[in-house]
Amino acid sequence: MGVDQQGLLAQLIRELVRLPGIGQKTAQRLAFHVLKTEREEALRLADAIRAVKDGLSFCRQCRNIAEEELCEFCRDPKRDHSKILVVEEPSTLYAIERTGIYRGLYHVLLGSLSPLDGVGPADIKVHELEDRLKDGGIQEVILATNPTIEGEATAIYLTKLIKPYGATVSRIAYGIPVGMDIEYADEVTLIKSLEGRRDL
Amino acid sequence: MPLLKTTAITLKSRKWGEADRIVTFYTLRFGKLRGVARGARRMKSRFGSALEPFVSCDLNLFEKPNDTLHRVSQADIKETFPALREDLVLMAGAARMANLVIAITADGDPAPRIFETLLRGLRSLNEGHDPGLTTLLFQIKLLGLTGFRPQTDHCAACGQDMQVQGEGTAGRFSAQAGGLVCDACTRRRSERYLFLAPGSLAFLQQALRMTPEVLNRLKAGGQVRSELETAIEAYVTVVAGKRLPPVDFLAAEAGEPAYELKR
Repeated sequence: MGVDQQGLLAQLIRELVRLPGIGQKTAQRLAFHVLKTEREEALRLADAIRAVKDGLSFCRQCRNIAEEELCEFCRDPKRDHSKILVVEEPSTLYAIERTGIYRGLYHVLLGSLSPLDGVGPADIKVHELEDRLKDGGIQEVILATNPTIEGEATAIYLTKLIKPYGATVSRIAYGIPVGMDIEYADEVTLIKSLEGRRDL
Repeated sequence: MPLLKTTAITLKSRKWGEADRIVTFYTLRFGKLRGVARGARRMKSRFGSALEPFVSCDLNLFEKPNDTLHRVSQADIKETFPALREDLVLMAGAARMANLVIAITADGDPAPRIFETLLRGLRSLNEGHDPGLTTLLFQIKLLGLTGFRPQTDHCAACGQDMQVQGEGTAGRFSAQAGGLVCDACTRRRSERYLFLAPGSLAFLQQALRMTPEVLNRLKAGGQVRSELETAIEAYVTVVAGKRLPPVDFLAAEAGEPAYELKR
């Protein structure tokens, strides 16, 4: 038997269904879980959602998500302010940060160019990156866009944009993932890994 | 769940769920199909780059009953077009061909000639033929292979034989009507017409007649190219029912922001 379509519970289910990866059944299960949990615990979730929407904005410099005008990385004086690593999404930034080996600054494009979807430079934070280059002091830009057609398009465009400013432009290497058997790699990956080989 | 095996060209791929992709293919045996590739975005995905746009692959799919979304079980690369990943102009040309095929074909309606034409178009771009002209020619050819062939022999509005207007004469192209319109219909109808010079008209007719294998022998520049690019763009917009992403996507205006935050 379905839940009453007009009631408060149905309203919660409708909102949960809008979340990515949540279907009707999962939404219903989550809604009943919310009903069963203590009031304070359920409201903590609501408060956290409200806090994120009210309290977060984009870093003025790198467009990462930030609680203040500048994000934690741009504020950190110990980081190398002559290097910028460009990523498509904030989630990629945190994946790179988890490695602990990169100590420079970031720039988040909040998207990628897509000839298939008609996403052009005006849709992503390219001009903000150019402004940072114009301000000077940037010696190296590392492009860490995804190895997809959109990521490739973005990297090609950015390379042309950045080079006139005199900064070194590099692209993160791509090829065979660690722990994988080479015989199972596809042709495109193998070509890229051969092109990107390095001296030992 | 029957297993479908076919050669396919990946037209489009988008993220789905945590690590999946929904991929649109144009297949040799079954026409346009959509499939979900579970785990395709994971580091050690068995699909590798086979599901990237503009890659031709041997595809295995499971058909799900009462669902247009199939399950991709295997994809092995058959042919790649590396130049299309390294040049924005080539990439944009290939994207236009893919978007056109998505717009003008129906799901599950096989048309091997569309498959062959698309494959030939991607090869032509990859081989270094003039990207603007190649994109134009293959758009004309793809339209010609579907029910959207631009009408050049008869008036697209009233059906009158256009030969009576005389060889080597200019034509008026109506995107709304779907081709050339005669003098009488031009006076009667209120829509906007695009003027096609005799050379442009002859080029369009030739492109519709030629097989995809020899299409790249046609050369055009200046007025012919500019007139036909405008006419085909207008016609594609009518046929697709919307403006397709522009070939010059770098000059596209900003759309909706990806994040809805207060600043």
